[in-house]
Amino acid sequence: MKFGPKSSALAVLAAAAIALTACGGGTSASGGGGGAAATTLTLASLQDLKTFDPTDAHIGHRMPIYQAVYDSLIRRAPDGKLVPMLATEWSYNKDNTVLTLKLRTDVTFSDGAKFDAAAAKANLDHFKAAKGTDAYQAASMKSVDVVDPSTIAITLNSPDPAFSYYLTQALGLQASPKAIGTDGIKTVPDGSGPYVYDAKSSVKGSQYVFTKRSGYWDKDLQKFDKVTIKYLVDLTARTNALVSGQVDAALLDPKSGKQAEGAGMVPHKSQVDWQGILLYDRDGKINPALANVKVRQAMNYAFDRKTILAQQYLNEGTVTDQVFGPESGAYVPELDNTYPYDPAKAKALLAEAGYPKGFTLKIPTVASYDPINAVFKQQLSDVGITLQTESIPDANYVSDMAAGKYAAATFNLYQGEPWVAINQMVSTTALYNPFKNEDPELTAMIKAVQNGGANSAELAKKVNENVTKNAWFVPMFRLNQMYFSNKKIDVQPELQQAVPSIYNYAPAK
Amino acid sequence: MVSFILKRIASGISVLVAISFFTYCLLYFSSANIARNILGEYASQEQVQAKEIALGLHRPLLTRFFEWAGNALHGDFGVSWFTSEPVVSAITTRLPITLTLVIVSIVCIAIVATLLGMAAAVKRGWIDRLVQGAAVVGDAIPDFVLAIVLVSVFAITLKIFPATSSISPDSGADAWAASMTLPVIALLINGIASIAQQIRSAVIKQLERDYVRTLRSRGIPEWEILFKHVLRSAAPAGLTVLSLKFVGMLGGVVIIEQIFALPGMGALAVQSTSMGDIPLVMGVVLYTVIIVIIVNLLVDLINGWLNPKVRVS
Repeated sequence: MKFGPKSSALAVLAAAAIALTACGGGTSASGGGGGAAATTLTLASLQDLKTFDPTDAHIGHRMPIYQAVYDSLIRRAPDGKLVPMLATEWSYNKDNTVLTLKLRTDVTFSDGAKFDAAAAKANLDHFKAAKGTDAYQAASMKSVDVVDPSTIAITLNSPDPAFSYYLTQALGLQASPKAIGTDGIKTVPDGSGPYVYDAKSSVKGSQYVFTKRSGYWDKDLQKFDKVTIKYLVDLTARTNALVSGQVDAALLDPKSGKQAEGAGMVPHKSQVDWQGILLYDRDGKINPALANVKVRQAMNYAFDRKTILAQQYLNEGTVTDQVFGPESGAYVPELDNTYPYDPAKAKALLAEAGYPKGFTLKIPTVASYDPINAVFKQQLSDVGITLQTESIPDANYVSDMAAGKYAAATFNLYQGEPWVAINQMVSTTALYNPFKNEDPELTAMIKAVQNGGANSAELAKKVNENVTKNAWFVPMFRLNQMYFSNKKIDVQPELQQAVPSIYNYAPAK
Repeated sequence: MVSFILKRIASGISVLVAISFFTYCLLYFSSANIARNILGEYASQEQVQAKEIALGLHRPLLTRFFEWAGNALHGDFGVSWFTSEPVVSAITTRLPITLTLVIVSIVCIAIVATLLGMAAAVKRGWIDRLVQGAAVVGDAIPDFVLAIVLVSVFAITLKIFPATSSISPDSGADAWAASMTLPVIALLINGIASIAQQIRSAVIKQLERDYVRTLRSRGIPEWEILFKHVLRSAAPAGLTVLSLKFVGMLGGVVIIEQIFALPGMGALAVQSTSMGDIPLVMGVVLYTVIIVIIVNLLVDLINGWLNPKVRVS
């Protein structure tokens, strides 16, 4: 017997049929976005959480997951204003070292325990002792006292203009006093938030499902019956999930954003981070050239920021010469013209500094920074500076920088509250000031911001001017955060925050 | 036969021990920043040191390895250093997804490639040219490119399948089927193309043998010669390639899992390795090695059943 054309064709058809065996029920699975009037919300998250323990919470991408199940003492509104949550009012003493908070008395945790001043104290004390991911938020906290069952007084070592902001973040999250510090809370959260964790429908490292908490005290913050947060680390997967309707909102990038816009998704652009080169070794310990301010200024003049922004990020951002953002209060518009693209001036400054033939600078790199570092390398070589890149594992990027292994590095940093930003990259305790650079004039300015109370943002302008003129950094652009949603939901982007808070979503009107 | 199986199991165990030790050594030499990465950027140097001691990172390699091996022998693989999730539960929630993906793909590849390969060998002509051409084209198209094309056509434009996995613990067979179809197809094309080619060559070689002529001269029906004798003799070549494909897929599905956001072993392996989560990496390696050993054993047994000469040797 030989196979005739009919049986051959049959074999091919059989092959195709086997390949498509599982076709049934395909369409039913793509309804993550909810029906006509959305009662469910499905979000894509760029980062996975470590554990549900609030001491492992981290600002930015992971906060919405914690916000679903934990209330915080204070809430940050989309415009950055602080509004009551578990604390109904709060005020500082005269020298800004004691913060007194009045607390709600009608809140219970998932396990039935009541929220009160003792619970709040237990949470704050534990956060400080546990020294978790965002432990810096409790660094200025000296002690917490229970004044009465609905009042606590937090004493600070020294004024901390960002402290009340921290109470909207990881530091402010409130877990049941029965669960604090146990192993159980790492896998099953125990808070008082608008939603309750549905462990049965969730898979660690894949998706977290939450359902509406019955009897929640603020119905305005509880707009959906069910909230699912899917961990989608791959940009293509996030884009596909959004465009196909599996998720309602996701953070994309300029290129995938074009695809999403083409598919009718709604963009919500905001500028959160600045990107550029952090020149760490300003005392010249491992790269003597960087000790000279003229060299650092030359590097600032070497970049054609506008062209790089257009080519690398499709113009999704704004070029800048300063590290404080327009909404921070410390922004000085004129500073953005400090270092126009001028390679001739860069070469002249290098020659004046004693480096007429340039010098070599070694920076670390990871896959996500490879493309932009290649551009930086090209532009610096035009003025005679050789940029050497050393590939290191992603997980070591921050720790290697913080350990002072590199004289400079490309990075994206948050442009938030001036005091947070100063403590992130300028002060001697800042993580991104690994060589602890300081000068007396700058130290006095920082001190003034710390003690400035309501005026601290204005005083931070001096710090901004100082670090810009002294070229502590090579800021390049404030990049647009490309957040997209479908039309089933309304989204309010949150000022200076990587992704909107969980409270900022609502079914479309 | 029993001694054949025992021998295979013994060699499997020695491979397991060797790979475990080798992996542990590699992790040991790249474990410089683990405590810092666990505690985060803001932990003090003292805290980092205390964490290193708590995790036993300061102890010598052999002490650490034997302690881990001793616990593993008792079924205790520990908990993830980063998420506190027990290693066994982290793996057992993800393993079914990867195994389903790989096994369904391999079974489909085996059936389709056998049919196509035999058709090409027996019929020659256009179907042979098709198989040969498909082998070249299939080999040239990477799985992930195909995956992206499939998503844009079948998930985004036609909306027949979900673009990313919709599998959750309470999902039924329909969600599994819908989520697995596109990834399986993405894995199939390349596999079918290369294995059909192998089977075609093996069958052609068998068809030229004297025994086929003898069988034909005795008037035995052609279908019986093909399926009972030729295929049986040609199978070992195909089986070996299939088992290699299976092992390759266990590692190779990581990109497919990422594109379809399937919560499988690939993502777990990449995440745990990049962070230096030693208990989890070791768990993933151990489970994978055990699966590979079992698959190889099964292939050997099937080969032995198909071909008595293998049993004798």
